[in-house]
Amino acid sequence: MSSPAIKTSATDKSPLVLESVVKRFGGVTAVNGVSLVAAPGEVVGVIGPNGSGKSTLFSLAAGGQPADEGRIWLDGVDVTGQPTWRIARSGIGRTFQIPSLFDNMSVRENLLAAAVEGDWKGAPGRAKEVAEMLQITPVINNLASELSGGQQKLLEFGRVCMRDPKVILLDEVTAGVHPNIRRIILEAIRRLRETGITFLIIEHDMEMVSEICDRLIVMNMGEVVAEGTFEEIASNAEVQQAYLGRQP
Amino acid sequence: MDLFLQTIVNGVLIGGILICLTIGFQLTFGVLHVIDFAVGGWVMLGGYAAYWLVALAGIDPFISIFFVFVLFALIGRAVGPLIYHVRTSRYARPDLMALAFTFGLFLLMRGGALWLWSYNSRNVESIFSGEFLTLGPVTIPLLRLSAFLMAIVISLGVFLLLYRTRFGMAVRAVAQNRDHAGLMGVNVKRVSAYVYGLYTGITASAGVLIATIYSVNPSVGVRYTLFAFFVAVLAGLGSVGGVLIAGLALGLMESVVSTYIGTRYSLLVVFGVLFLVLLVAPKGVLGRGI
Amino acid sequence: MASNPGQVRGYLIRFAAVAVGLLALAVVPAFIDPYSLRIVTGALMWAGLACAWNIVGGYAGYISFGHSAFFGIGAYTTAILMQPGIGMPFLATLLPSVVFAMIVAAIIGGPTMRLRGAYFAIATWAFAEMLIQLATVLDITGGTSGLSLPAYLNEFFFYYTMLAAAAASFLGVWYLIEYTRFGFRLKALRDHEPAAEAMGIRTNLVKVQAFALSAAITALFGSVFAYWTTYIDPQSVLGPDITDQMVVMVLLGGLGTIWGPALGAVVLWMTNRYIWSTFGDTVVYLPILGLIIAMVVLFLPNGLISLIVGRRRGRELISRILRKF
Repeated sequence: MSSPAIKTSATDKSPLVLESVVKRFGGVTAVNGVSLVAAPGEVVGVIGPNGSGKSTLFSLAAGGQPADEGRIWLDGVDVTGQPTWRIARSGIGRTFQIPSLFDNMSVRENLLAAAVEGDWKGAPGRAKEVAEMLQITPVINNLASELSGGQQKLLEFGRVCMRDPKVILLDEVTAGVHPNIRRIILEAIRRLRETGITFLIIEHDMEMVSEICDRLIVMNMGEVVAEGTFEEIASNAEVQQAYLGRQP
Repeated sequence: MDLFLQTIVNGVLIGGILICLTIGFQLTFGVLHVIDFAVGGWVMLGGYAAYWLVALAGIDPFISIFFVFVLFALIGRAVGPLIYHVRTSRYARPDLMALAFTFGLFLLMRGGALWLWSYNSRNVESIFSGEFLTLGPVTIPLLRLSAFLMAIVISLGVFLLLYRTRFGMAVRAVAQNRDHAGLMGVNVKRVSAYVYGLYTGITASAGVLIATIYSVNPSVGVRYTLFAFFVAVLAGLGSVGGVLIAGLALGLMESVVSTYIGTRYSLLVVFGVLFLVLLVAPKGVLGRGI
Repeated sequence: MASNPGQVRGYLIRFAAVAVGLLALAVVPAFIDPYSLRIVTGALMWAGLACAWNIVGGYAGYISFGHSAFFGIGAYTTAILMQPGIGMPFLATLLPSVVFAMIVAAIIGGPTMRLRGAYFAIATWAFAEMLIQLATVLDITGGTSGLSLPAYLNEFFFYYTMLAAAAASFLGVWYLIEYTRFGFRLKALRDHEPAAEAMGIRTNLVKVQAFALSAAITALFGSVFAYWTTYIDPQSVLGPDITDQMVVMVLLGGLGTIWGPALGAVVLWMTNRYIWSTFGDTVVYLPILGLIIAMVVLFLPNGLISLIVGRRRGRELISRILRKF
């Protein structure tokens, strides 16, 4: 791996740096020494077969789980081992694969709740903006549990936006949604990256990945097996093997 | 030194009964995944059953205990399915509902006893009452010794049932993994009902023994619910084997506190220790709890 | 937080409803006899207690079987401070009582709330029982003989005090839950704890805050109760009967709703008083209480309020809360 000196200069500029993070669950090593440096405004796609450790990686980066080994820097600050809420307040937001909305609150309240630890005064205005950007204003007073699947994904995304994070982790945010909704999300990602927000997205939808990602990271069995642009990855033999089990 | 030996002996004797008391409770938790708040209630009712059998028919509790066991096993066998139903129902949160249900059951028992029989303590006389055995410096009330032996016999019986019979194997299978046991042909619902009946039978029997030593009134339920919780948590919820050590531990602790600090403080210490154990080691001292 | 005419209208309606309700309650003493007044005073107290328990049980999602501990702490603090040697006036004892309860809650809340559902229930239960024992052996609490308070036999005073306490509790809780950051944090924590943490919410802190708030309100009522009944002992203010009723009232009324606890409290209290006047004693009330819990669990787990608000909403609400258990 790179020497510490290089790491330091990288951590200064990068909003998110992971260095050789490892996570084990009993006998299974879900993430095995993954390193990553993301640039401001970059959209990094994380792809790989199911069970390759992508979601766990997100969990480590966002502080949902403590890493067994390795370090994590957010905006140049070492946040390894900090509690979830503190890491969250450091400017990272994530969506969950399984719906994690506040079911008994309305859409508006969900958005407001997301800002509860930030700019509370400006929250109502911000909520209005976010709702407009994601085109969920029509249902803004509905209970979160009453939304369609696609609208729920939009709301999840919206909640993350409420806090003005510098890094957003999207975990299969377009899985199973209507193409219209996918379009809205893509537009939103484009708008936000203009403002310098970094995205890491886990996706299985290759079309979306090719459209929006600046580069890709391919994971298999907890390790990074390839990195590069979409074109580079598409023709990479190891990647093909990972996905299709084909011998090179 | 003599006092110390006496204290130890007292503690062990009581410990045996506490083991008997908690075995069934652990089984119920392991199989039905229910913390039965009414455990003390079964103890109390068992005690009252023994009382009435002495008062009305003159039957010695050490004989009527068998009848009490059968009676309460039947009652439990009837109530069990209801608890199983609540615990496995699809709406809301089943384990909370089951806890609330057994809580209601306990209220029903305590209130019912208070209403029917008032708050007076009833003594349960036995032929062993008032007799003593002297072994060197230690005086052992024959009553307590007999109760201890009976408790051990019952506990052994349970162990034999669990480890030497097919039914016992089914019980252990369900306790380990309910779904798999079901897939292998075990009728989980029926086993659960029988286990609950077994539990109420054993616990009521323990109640008989306790009543002979301490007398019985509607409030004893609280005390023995606490003791059962204590032993169960210390052993690790669901662990039947751990009860052997935890039961003795509680008996000894209670005895030591009563003798050296004062009986008024024994409950305080027990509750205090339980509270601390829950904070520090909720899965039991051996960590085998669920 | 209002942002459109519909919402403003909603506020006005709610405000009007509350004002009318308070006004109605305020003039009640003019129309009923002293005996009935005592009953209504009792109903107000239980409504307040149910509201307090609901904060921890319904909103934070922790089923406490030891809330009588705080009721007793409030009662004993007031009683002790009003003893001849110290002789504080009643109203002055309220602040120390509430503060003391909050401190105790803050201390035991942290570690205890790390426990999962049933363990938490047992731990709180053990704590309350521990306090009974403590009250029995300490001199300052009068041991088993309990404590007497200076007699003040003014039913109007106690009615209005209870009313003030109940109104403050309900309105305070309502405001906190619906309109403050704390309320949002609490509801978020209840609905989906991991997501709440991912929003930067310190869930453990919020839980302890909710616990302390609940303890404070409970202690307040304990204090008023002590002065009202002029005599307390360990069983009467720390006993399981207090907790039992609080739990049943909330379950009966509707867990995790603002007004469910009040409904459950009134219904149950009236049942209690009815039994007392019909059968001459309240002993039969206990088994009936047990039966009610059993029936609620079996047939109406979302409480009476679900019959009013609608089954589905109530059921989903309860499921969410209880999933945390």
